[in-house]
Amino acid sequence: MSTESATEHPAAPSAERAADALPPLDAPPTTLVALAREAGHHHTPAPLAETLLVARPLLAAAGLAVPDGHLTVATGPLDVRFAHVDTGSRVGPTGAAGTDDALRVSGTLHRVPWARAAEAAVVLTEGPWGGPVLFLLEAAEWRQVTGANLAGEPRDDLVLLDVTVPAARVRRVPAALVREAEWRSGLARAALIAGAARRCVELTVAHTASRVQFGRPLSHFQAVKQEEAKLVEEAALVTAAVEAAAAALAEPDSAEFTAWLAAAQAAASVAEITRIAHQLHGAIGFTELSPLRLATTRMWSWRDEDGGERAWQQRIGRHVLDGEGDHGGEGDGDRLWQRVTSG
Amino acid sequence: MTLSALDPGAVQLPRETVQLRQEVRDFLAGERAAGTILGRPDSWLTGWDPAFTRRLARRGWVGMTLPRKYGGGGRSNLERYVVIEELLAAGAPVSAHWVADRQAGPTILRHGTEAQRSHFLPRIAAGACFFSIGMSERDSGSDLASVRTRAERTDDGWRLTGTKMWTGGAHVNDHAIVLARTDESEDRHAGLSQFIVNLRDPHVRVEPIRLLSGEHTFNYCHLEGVELTDDALLGRPGDGWQQVTGELALERSGPERFLSTLPLLTALVEQMQRTGGGSPEQQSRVGRLTARLSAIRQLSLGVAAALAAGRPADVQAALVKDLGTRFEGELVNEVREILPTTARFDATRGSYPELLATAILHAPGYTLRGGTNEILRGIITRGLELSR
Repeated sequence: MSTESATEHPAAPSAERAADALPPLDAPPTTLVALAREAGHHHTPAPLAETLLVARPLLAAAGLAVPDGHLTVATGPLDVRFAHVDTGSRVGPTGAAGTDDALRVSGTLHRVPWARAAEAAVVLTEGPWGGPVLFLLEAAEWRQVTGANLAGEPRDDLVLLDVTVPAARVRRVPAALVREAEWRSGLARAALIAGAARRCVELTVAHTASRVQFGRPLSHFQAVKQEEAKLVEEAALVTAAVEAAAAALAEPDSAEFTAWLAAAQAAASVAEITRIAHQLHGAIGFTELSPLRLATTRMWSWRDEDGGERAWQQRIGRHVLDGEGDHGGEGDGDRLWQRVTSG
Repeated sequence: MTLSALDPGAVQLPRETVQLRQEVRDFLAGERAAGTILGRPDSWLTGWDPAFTRRLARRGWVGMTLPRKYGGGGRSNLERYVVIEELLAAGAPVSAHWVADRQAGPTILRHGTEAQRSHFLPRIAAGACFFSIGMSERDSGSDLASVRTRAERTDDGWRLTGTKMWTGGAHVNDHAIVLARTDESEDRHAGLSQFIVNLRDPHVRVEPIRLLSGEHTFNYCHLEGVELTDDALLGRPGDGWQQVTGELALERSGPERFLSTLPLLTALVEQMQRTGGGSPEQQSRVGRLTARLSAIRQLSLGVAAALAAGRPADVQAALVKDLGTRFEGELVNEVREILPTTARFDATRGSYPELLATAILHAPGYTLRGGTNEILRGIITRGLELSR
């Protein structure tokens, strides 16, 4: 959907304000996750989660300098060639080697979060040598076709017309970094969902306490209490999964798996949390008269961006069912439990 | 407004628990090799094996948190958590000492006299003294304060009359802690007291109540004028309600509130591993259960850490119990759909169809025991009102 966007927030001015608040590069991982949750809670109009939990760590891991300001992240197939083809090379066909790693890049990156509010984009794609490459694109280097997700948040297509990326902004990276980009993106979405889930709880509790029908607040009805408790529970579940993943970020052995768990649980819980929040809000929550939509429409988008729950669940399932694990041995049904307790 | 339930904070288990967990796993591997029956769903309710309990006790894993001077292990609540979650995940037969270890021991430590402590606690920790819960009655389930069992003053103690119901293990255990009304005149919460009753007393008559599966764990426990001396009173007269409420926090948030059916999932995973790892659909359903299990465990650990730090956690405990016990039932339905099999209670013990049958037949209990979930949800929403 590359139509003119109808975002609720004029992105640029707010994004500038938010940029002032970006934490330093050496902030602890749990702080970064907490900030991403806050961004979800306040529906911050900037790619804060993308910057803190994905773009910055990937740049650092690749050994590239981290620019100031908000960053976004994009992946996908592009036409990538060496900018300075090594004509003297006898390795492969002409163009298969360069005198350096400067690249010429063409193609389209689809639905990039908050591209119009970002200073630069971290791009992961396949390099001309057949392995993964990470490079940094500056905002002036792409053409933008605006788009939006269900909540009206910018999801812009970036059109690259033979952009030359200097070698200083290009790094060959291991396949593990591509996986890291995936689970980091999943964790970033999960943190945003946890924040928005909290907003759903707050708005619903406030609404049922103040809305009076049949002479008493909605919150005094047993039927309402039952649902409200389940809403609180499901939101707590998402938060717990995200906090566990945040705590595991510093542990190389468990960071990836716990990020999968958080991404899977957050995406899977969106349906129940938004269902109850809307049901208890009644008709007003279904309209622009209530701020509830600012949380719920985002959650409906976020659960599918960077992989829906099915994709995350399948990774987890495949992992615990894989007999070739680190524990090996006879009947390894315990592997599931061992993974759950190893965080 | 603060919604503390939504900020449980990640719990990092103390480093010493890594080794402890491995010790328990090694012990269980030895037990499995020696032929002890493991891998059963709901083993904390029906896995009665006093010899297994004594082997655990020799390792120091019964009454772990009781002070050393009473024969306990002097270990932390989180260390105990690690041990019991390993035992439950393995479906080990822990029901003999379950109530003694989880609540009778800590309650006697907290409210008992020195004589009661030095008599009961070393026996509990040795795996030689088993307890039942004497709370519920026919007309007092969720509404516990309505109990009618009476304790009347006698010259040298009390006379206990009434009938307790759902008294798990009363036919095999040694004692029960009985909640009884000691004062009719006061308001319904104030006139209650707790007593330690010898289940082998001639005036205690135990009558089986079979589960819908035909299994015998529950009983009526008829107290037909049981004569008690003063040293049977636990805590102060009239404090029974408060004491029981404290017990319930211990009872509601532990790993037995989400792990009762895990052995069935383990059996499913083994079955799928033997047949090539399953389809993508089956894999993702296993993944969904894994993610939910893991998140519920994090919340449960949060409650354990709060209780260990002396912070109140009633609301969080209710939340974990509702989430966890609903998960226990949901797991059974999912497993049925992931690998459809006809459940058979008469199939070979320990086979997949028999484990499935056990889990299905026990499923109605998960969301009832330890406080009906509908009532617990009321505790959660009341917590929201208080935090407003």
